[in-house]
Amino acid sequence: MKQLPTKKLSSESRMAYALLAPAALFIAVFMVYPVLYVILMSLFKTNKLGILQNFIWFENFVKQFQKAVFWEVTGRSLLWTVLAVLTKTVLGMVIALCLNVEFRGRKFARILFIIPWASSVPISSMLWKWVYDHEFGLLNHTFISLGIMRHPPVWTGDPFWSFFACLWVDIWIGVPFMALVFLAGMQSVSRDLYESAEVDGVGSWGKFFYITVPSIKQIIFIATLLSSLWTFNDFNTIYILTRGGPAGATDILITSIYKNGFEWLRFSDAAVMAVITFMILMVVSIVYARVYFRGGDEAL
Amino acid sequence: MKKVFLVAALVLLLVTSVTFGAGQKEAARPKVTVFWALYDGLTEEYRANLQSAFMKEYPHIDLDIVPIPWDNVYDKLTTAMAGKNPPELCVIGTRWALELLALDALEPPEKYVNKATMDNIFDGAKEAYIGGTLWGLPIAAGARVLAINTDLTDKVPQTMEQLREFALEAQRRTGKYGLVMPGKKHTELTDFLYYFYSNGGEFFEFKSDGSFGKCVINSDVGVKALEFMVQLATKDKVVPAGYLSQTRMESHPVFYAGDAAYVMIGAWADSALEQAGAKFKVKYAQIPGFAGKKSAPLMVTDSLAFFKDAKYKEEAGLFVDFFYRDEWKAKFDELIGFPPVTKSAATLPQFQTPLYKALGDAAANAKPIPLVEGFAEMTDVVWDAVVMAYLGQKTPKKALDDAAREIDAIKASYE
Amino acid sequence: MKKLTFRNKHKIVVVLLTLVLLIIMLFPFFVMLSTMLKRGTDIYVRPPYWIPKHFAWNNFVKVWSEYHLLQYFNNSILVGLGTTVLNSIVIIPAAYAIARFKFSGRSLILYSLLAMQMFSPVIIIISLFRVFIKLQLLDKLIGLVLANTVMTLSFTTWLMFGYFSSIPREIEDAARIDGCSRMGTLTRIIIPIAAPGLVTAMIYTFIQAWNDFLFPLSFINAQKKMPLTLGIYQFVGRWSTQWEMLNVAAFIALIPVLVLFFIIEKQLVAGLAGGAVKG
Repeated sequence: MKQLPTKKLSSESRMAYALLAPAALFIAVFMVYPVLYVILMSLFKTNKLGILQNFIWFENFVKQFQKAVFWEVTGRSLLWTVLAVLTKTVLGMVIALCLNVEFRGRKFARILFIIPWASSVPISSMLWKWVYDHEFGLLNHTFISLGIMRHPPVWTGDPFWSFFACLWVDIWIGVPFMALVFLAGMQSVSRDLYESAEVDGVGSWGKFFYITVPSIKQIIFIATLLSSLWTFNDFNTIYILTRGGPAGATDILITSIYKNGFEWLRFSDAAVMAVITFMILMVVSIVYARVYFRGGDEAL
Repeated sequence: MKKVFLVAALVLLLVTSVTFGAGQKEAARPKVTVFWALYDGLTEEYRANLQSAFMKEYPHIDLDIVPIPWDNVYDKLTTAMAGKNPPELCVIGTRWALELLALDALEPPEKYVNKATMDNIFDGAKEAYIGGTLWGLPIAAGARVLAINTDLTDKVPQTMEQLREFALEAQRRTGKYGLVMPGKKHTELTDFLYYFYSNGGEFFEFKSDGSFGKCVINSDVGVKALEFMVQLATKDKVVPAGYLSQTRMESHPVFYAGDAAYVMIGAWADSALEQAGAKFKVKYAQIPGFAGKKSAPLMVTDSLAFFKDAKYKEEAGLFVDFFYRDEWKAKFDELIGFPPVTKSAATLPQFQTPLYKALGDAAANAKPIPLVEGFAEMTDVVWDAVVMAYLGQKTPKKALDDAAREIDAIKASYE
Repeated sequence: MKKLTFRNKHKIVVVLLTLVLLIIMLFPFFVMLSTMLKRGTDIYVRPPYWIPKHFAWNNFVKVWSEYHLLQYFNNSILVGLGTTVLNSIVIIPAAYAIARFKFSGRSLILYSLLAMQMFSPVIIIISLFRVFIKLQLLDKLIGLVLANTVMTLSFTTWLMFGYFSSIPREIEDAARIDGCSRMGTLTRIIIPIAAPGLVTAMIYTFIQAWNDFLFPLSFINAQKKMPLTLGIYQFVGRWSTQWEMLNVAAFIALIPVLVLFFIIEKQLVAGLAGGAVKG
């Protein structure tokens, strides 16, 4: 890259700022202000209308940390995220690999796979609720009539299974996105690489691990990181299927935030959990970035 | 270079002008906003007709009846209030009134509603009395009754113990479920209260001045009620297998489908059964008390409340007078299947059915839900206790003891 | 007779696997198809069954006439398109700037964008509501467009940043040497090459805006301004859900997205084939 004279650098900066201005304005008004307000709410005593009352430093935080349920919910959020993202990545990769192969009807397959993502999350969750229904739902009916399970569990009512029932819906909704992103990446990998590898006698697994994966490494990184952030905050699925029940077995941070904020109007508590959520996700992102960049890419 | 700036400036200009310019035209006519909770049976046609009929009679007022599913009314209301933009009127669960009052969000309807309208409402239905003032007009007031699928059984139990017996017998004989009982936590506590009240349970002790004292749901009667519920669900297995996944709303379709003998239900039963195409006959009876106790069914009311920070309350009052006329309110009551709250409507022929009779009888003995701040949280606590008892994670006594302690803490945090 | 070469065997395995995965993933979709064609009175039946005994085709008619589906539909289209357009206008220059220019605060901006992903709308909705009131954006579709743009900004910027970065500078430099201005390079060279990324960004944005539920729930009261997601929710009555109607409406809500994807898919392939990037 040519060394640009200093005079040009400042005009380059100016141009950059000009190009960034519209986005910056949006973010300032609709994101920065609300987020700052949430942080303030966590440091103040807030009344039921969301108005700040007294500044009480970290009292709210201390109060939350003393509740066992807070730690349960936080731990569950982490478990939820790890399991979901792992499954989404693997399934997404498998589907992308399948769709990367030329076969008749591939285009229709691609469009059909998009359906779980194309339907809105609240509506999909409602549909799954109907599918999971113990008395009238077709899932259990199918299991029973195919002889797979004679006494299928009550998917949204059993304390153990409800977690996985919700998890599956979140995975179901998120897989198409992963598949789409991976597929887009795979499509831009040159066929020559694969052909020369075949000539060298490399098998399918080898092609996958030594060509495909490294080529789309950056995409995998971004996709899984974003998926982690989104999955951690997946509210609609759990709320609609189980509302955090039974007896809190599916409660994660974001549903707890909603409960505290909207149902009980305890804004300070909700804000504390929101700030903790943000801090956890920030740590995750930083660790992620460090691990990734140790590999020596200069994307940033 | 200059072109870049120009483009950036144009975009900025576009965005800001669209943003700010968008709002200037609206302030002409007074606009009344009504948050309209969607009761089942309430048709879109009715809402639209009500809206246009009112605007025809009062052409200078703009009326917006906003339909909202019941589960979302509270959230939408709190968001609106937090944004200092409450509706003029909102259908609220009367138990929310205390909380809203503490936020100084309400105004007494008397200020804006005709005396004639107020007098036409049954005094007994006016539940939202706090500190001597009525804070909301009853819009739907219903007691609860026991519905019996006469195809499966026609025995009317006189006590809870008999209910259990008959339910078991019906189940054994017909293979269908004996009794419907939801087991999933949701925002209403009614399904615990059926048993709790039937055993004479009280939520709180009454202090000498009539206000609420310590929480006593873990009294002997309370524990016995919960033990009874747990027995029905886990040992007798007389309730639907999926009960833990069903809120009250979700548990009733089993009855409508004809697969359960008994259910505790409210005024919407007739319209819901019709909507489901149920072909069996139904008999209505009182929810029995436990042996030796009086039947004390639940009374739940919803109210129409005026919000202090809204702009067009006078006009909203005009709407309320309009709505409570027989031609509209009676139709409303009919559609949602609730007994009428207005004296004039109560005399109409369509309200003389067996269900309405049973509800009337129940109302005589009915007991309301305690009006106390933080009740939403307390409901959550009690439900958790109930579910943990069902799951065997805690004994009913321990579950209720822990719940009572938590409720006392919640109550204390509001004082 | 084609020999069962490795390639062919490979293909058969892939096709079978795809079929199995499709069935698993689309199971609820089959349930949707079954439910939406049943009569209201056939829904709560035990045990449930797949093929409707009485096909209730007039569910489709009812849903348009009794429940203002067309209006909700139009609103959703407007919000979806509006957000997609606004989003593209705002983020393309921004992503380009981050990818190509050196300026102070560059890393900070990148990390901030990432940080924005950590805030779910649930967390900021109340404060956002205040902002909307001040700007008089309640009950307006443009309000939804703005809210959705903000929510999709960070992801699409990151995405385009990635695509722009992966385009070798040589191509740009070559165009500049040929006398092309900076803006010209952007519009005539870079964007076409990054088309697949842009298309993905636009699809993502459209789907987010189309499927958004929380913002309309909080910001829209007037029925004629409700989008599809909010309108459909009204089938959840207080006492029992009208599943057949809900499924019909959900099915209808699905169609534009599928159509969009069908159209865009061609572009996606064409864009990739026409790209001059990799050897």
